[in-house]
Amino acid sequence: MSVERHQMHEEDVGAYLLRALSDVEQRRFEAHLEGCVVCQDEVSRLRPAVHALPRSVHPMAPPRSLKAGLMAEVERDVREREEAAGVSRRSSPFARMRRRLGGVGSAFGGLRPTVAWVSASVVLLVGVVSGAAGLYALNDVTSGESTRSVVAKVDKTRVPFGSGSLAVRDGPQEGAVLQVHGMPELEDDSVYQLWVRRDGEVISQSLFHVGVDGDGAAAVTEDLQDVDEVMVTRESAGGAKAPSEKPVLSVKL
Amino acid sequence: MGHTDDIESLADEEVMHLVQEGNPRAFELLYERHGGPGFSLAYRMVGDRVVAEDISQEAFLSIWRSRHRYQPDRGSVRTWVLGIVHHRAIDALRRNLVHDRRRSSAEGIEERHEAPERERTDVVAARREDAQHVRSALGDLPHEQCRVIELAYFGGFSHSQIAEMLDMPIGTVKGRMRLGLEKLRKGLKEKVA
Ligand SMILES: [Zn+2]
Repeated sequence: MSVERHQMHEEDVGAYLLRALSDVEQRRFEAHLEGCVVCQDEVSRLRPAVHALPRSVHPMAPPRSLKAGLMAEVERDVREREEAAGVSRRSSPFARMRRRLGGVGSAFGGLRPTVAWVSASVVLLVGVVSGAAGLYALNDVTSGESTRSVVAKVDKTRVPFGSGSLAVRDGPQEGAVLQVHGMPELEDDSVYQLWVRRDGEVISQSLFHVGVDGDGAAAVTEDLQDVDEVMVTRESAGGAKAPSEKPVLSVKL
Repeated sequence: MGHTDDIESLADEEVMHLVQEGNPRAFELLYERHGGPGFSLAYRMVGDRVVAEDISQEAFLSIWRSRHRYQPDRGSVRTWVLGIVHHRAIDALRRNLVHDRRRSSAEGIEERHEAPERERTDVVAARREDAQHVRSALGDLPHEQCRVIELAYFGGFSHSQIAEMLDMPIGTVKGRMRLGLEKLRKGLKEKVA
């Protein structure tokens, strides 16, 4: 970052946060922001003030037609997705387990649990997921007892829209499932591979694919104790013995 | 709806987790929690119930369809949702869908009292108190700072439009925006403390 550049932009912070810059200015400011720590600090410092603005608005009841129209669209989306995909790769082992067990699963009205379970691509991957998911049977995210979710760090240059989180179950029967979203679908000759790093040693866990929607899930099979990091790389079909690239996504534990 | 009973006690972030799995009941709950504030914000910006409803519907559909973009480490669900509504409303204002209303929003803050929310009274009361708190912090700003912030955020005007409207240099407008946000940030902090 050059000092002149910064001086050109430092007055823009407020207008940027209020979305009052022109499109061109906004792009320029964002480009500057990427490399300027001073402006980054300023943006994160002032952002809460902007976030407070909508709270000053008089509360009003939305018309009932709004919810009705919205939910009709959403239900239609869900039906189309189910028809198109058979049943989702999108759903996590948690969700499938929940569906099998009832409980919150009953909220998934239209899905057929048996099909969901059998056709789930993730289960077929390593044969371990069913075991790992079993750990969660009585204690999933919704019970909130001892399952926590850790957000993954994503390399935005290689997977710009990717995100992910690791659901970790603590306790004597610990385990973890990684869910990813917005990941690029790989060619047939490639696969995502999940690794854990423990004491500097990198151990392969499982292979997984993502659907056209960029969603996927994979289980950590290793005992989580002393695991420092869970990582994902892109490898040739069949997987690799050791990671061939820097992780595209990782979770520090 | 009976289905949502068992998820109603969940925190927003957990509800959002279920939404990300594609659970429509969780999305319904998300709407029940944030649809009111979203609609209120849209209405405050465009001043028209029908347009505000369109904007809210577009915004919430886009929330559903881009649900995976939500990242918990980058802010609360409420902030994310309202940010999307705000964005949509600005688009609508800039596309001039609500041409006539632009003048009225330029005239400053009008208090628009409308039907009460269908929500638990304690939630409504807490929200009203919070609104009062933010309004009072805004009220403490020098008038010219408050004005540029409101014209930009609620009116959807760009800095150059505001400069023209208020007949002042762009640099002054930008400076007041920044100073105003700075002062608002401090004011909100003090009022909490
Ligand atoms: Zn800078």
